[in-house]
Amino acid sequence: MKTTFFRLFLGFFIINAFFSCQKNNDAGKADFDRKAMLENFANNLIIPAYTDLQGKISVLQAATNQFTQNPDQNKLLVLQNAWEETYVAWQFANAYNFGVAAEEGLKNSLINEIGTFPVNETKINANIANNNTNLTDPNRDARGFLAAEYLIFDQKNNQNTILNNFSDAKRKSYLLALVNHLKSKTDEIILAWNGYKSSFVANAGTDVGSSTSQFYNEFVKSYESIKNYKVALPLGKSLGQTQALPNRVEAFYSGKSLKMINEHLTAIENIWYGKAKNGQEGIGFKKYLESVEGGNALILSTQSQFLAVKNAFAKIPQNVSLSQQITESPKNIENFYVELQKLNRFLKSDLSSLLGIAITYSSGDGD
Amino acid sequence: MEIRNLYEKPISIAPLITFRVIFGAMMAFSAIRFMALGWIEDHFIRPKFHFKYFGFFWVEVLPDFYLYAIHILMIISALGVMLGAFYRLSAVLLFLTFTYTELLDLTYYLNHYYFVSIVCGLLIFLPANRCFSVDVLLKPQIYSEFVPAWTINILKFQLGIVYFYAGIAKINEDWLFHALPLKIWLPANDQLFLIGNLLKYEATAYFFSWTGMLYDCTIVFFLIYPKTRFLAYLAVIFFHVITGLMFQIGVFPLVMIGSTLIFFSEKWHWRWIDFLCRKINFSLLKDSKKQKNFVLKPIVLFFLGVHIIFQILFPFRHLFYDGNLFWTEEGYRFSWRVMLMEKAGTATFYVKDSKTGREGEVVNADFLNPHQEKQMAMQPDMILQFAHFLADHYAKKGIYKPEVRAEIYVTLNAKPSRLLVDPSIDLSKIEDTFEQKMWILK
Repeated sequence: MKTTFFRLFLGFFIINAFFSCQKNNDAGKADFDRKAMLENFANNLIIPAYTDLQGKISVLQAATNQFTQNPDQNKLLVLQNAWEETYVAWQFANAYNFGVAAEEGLKNSLINEIGTFPVNETKINANIANNNTNLTDPNRDARGFLAAEYLIFDQKNNQNTILNNFSDAKRKSYLLALVNHLKSKTDEIILAWNGYKSSFVANAGTDVGSSTSQFYNEFVKSYESIKNYKVALPLGKSLGQTQALPNRVEAFYSGKSLKMINEHLTAIENIWYGKAKNGQEGIGFKKYLESVEGGNALILSTQSQFLAVKNAFAKIPQNVSLSQQITESPKNIENFYVELQKLNRFLKSDLSSLLGIAITYSSGDGD
Repeated sequence: MEIRNLYEKPISIAPLITFRVIFGAMMAFSAIRFMALGWIEDHFIRPKFHFKYFGFFWVEVLPDFYLYAIHILMIISALGVMLGAFYRLSAVLLFLTFTYTELLDLTYYLNHYYFVSIVCGLLIFLPANRCFSVDVLLKPQIYSEFVPAWTINILKFQLGIVYFYAGIAKINEDWLFHALPLKIWLPANDQLFLIGNLLKYEATAYFFSWTGMLYDCTIVFFLIYPKTRFLAYLAVIFFHVITGLMFQIGVFPLVMIGSTLIFFSEKWHWRWIDFLCRKINFSLLKDSKKQKNFVLKPIVLFFLGVHIIFQILFPFRHLFYDGNLFWTEEGYRFSWRVMLMEKAGTATFYVKDSKTGREGEVVNADFLNPHQEKQMAMQPDMILQFAHFLADHYAKKGIYKPEVRAEIYVTLNAKPSRLLVDPSIDLSKIEDTFEQKMWILK
């Protein structure tokens, strides 16, 4: 008995030793370099997204300065274009609210700080009236990209209304404050990432708090924000709603909601593929899936569902704003929502289960 | 060997003392850890909804102050058990406070919490304070160096059940012939110190699967047999340290490493108790007079028998249900099925106003924390509870006779996800019973 037992455990060590010497033999080995994936995310997706955003915000800042010094029709158009480009850049940067972009750095996550929608018109107008440009209070729905949007766009697209409003000096200084705030938060995050990058890449496990787990969680949240808040809620598909809420769409005032959803979806797809915005291929969740049990089946399902989502989106007329379509003919949007819903599980439980990523802190069942 | 010897024979109290001290200390540690991690807040205070245990729907989450008070009481009573101070009272309080906490929310169910609850319950009836305890200082007449054999054997039995049933549960096709779920879990741990790189190999997953199964099935026998005991205990340490490093399983490895010491001989136990006595200047009374056989009251024997039979049979209740146990989980809990499968789901609930026909999607995170949502999304009885909660909640919010349906996709052991329950069925109309759940899709 004793010897059987002893042999069993001796056997364990021998086999271990055997495999240690076989390191270069790749047969039957789930060889995936999570560090390389994290490096790709950091170098080719996250940091470039923030840097691009920073550049766009600088342009926006210049346009804002020009415009507020002497508002006219042309400068307003330049300003509006600069905002649109900035907000597109943000769609590629809005999924990374962990580490220095969450509790570690900013007191609140970056997306809450500068990406909150819908904005609160009353609060914004009150701030303007009181000349309150101190943007550090908890009223995050009175600042960020979409507060700026509220000031520089008119929902009925009447440029004169906007220009008239900007005869108010307090409105000008509020807009300047908003844009400066965007700039300073983005500068802050880029600076912080310089220091954070190495620890992000080094923390290469799959436990809760590991970079992969944090990154994955925010990736899912970002995707669900499209489905739940950019589509379902305005469409009236959220629970407790008795009607659609077309004015709850993202980018309501500019009417650019559909464009932003499309860009956001591309950003989500890029993350899944590990692809940079400029098209450069890299290691992402797809490569990771290729290395695990059941991964290839999930890759196929995810890819075909990404395609279905895109096809459903393509059927939505782009020349009519999302809020108008929701009011007038929501059929296409509803179909789009159904396809988004189907994609959910492929990005959520199926993905984390196959990759063995831990998502909660609570203890699991002991062995 | 006469069967009476198994329960009435006088044997040394020493293993029971060790058990009492270590178990009490671990309970105190684990309760302090639970508080320090802020889990009272996260697990019990913050969530807006709690999943109940079948038959324990009356257990309510008390106001914050009481939850903290109960945890402090748990720590004090655990220390009481450790020191053998007001032992019976301490054991009763430990059992009640711990079990209450476990009953608060089903999504935190863990087999080892169930184990701890059983042991706390047993400790109430074990004379573990009769030596090396504060109680003996206060009342020397209770001192005894001998206890009836059942008081130690029941703990060995309980440990044996945990290991053995965990072992036979591993005898299934996925575990042994596909190395699942270890094939998923091991590569995810490739950053582990020293052995990380080994975990990437498929062969390692097979090896761990088979070793784990053999370990669980046989370790108790190797612990009982004196000649293999020492090596077996090394294996216990090795096994639990490894799994403790790899998986997020909290204090469980410590509990098992501490508890299995009960298999060691009385000589071994006396050695460290004497050592401890010298260190803290505690003098044992020591009377080595020969103890006559204990005679057990029939009532004690009866309840002992009932407990043992229950422990042996209850884990097999799944045989009454059709279908794949891992998929339906009917009779899955309280059966020592630990770390057996990788299962996860995405659950989307829809609530419909039966007057207007308007249907809306629930954001689960509005009511559940991530852990609750994760557990609920793959376990049918929890899905049902949540559906009932949603129906009640939205009825109060003014939705007329809410109908609740759910689209739940579950992946089991890396197989493509499929629907767990019929997405057209109104879950709020279904009651949870011991009967076969026909609404779970095959």
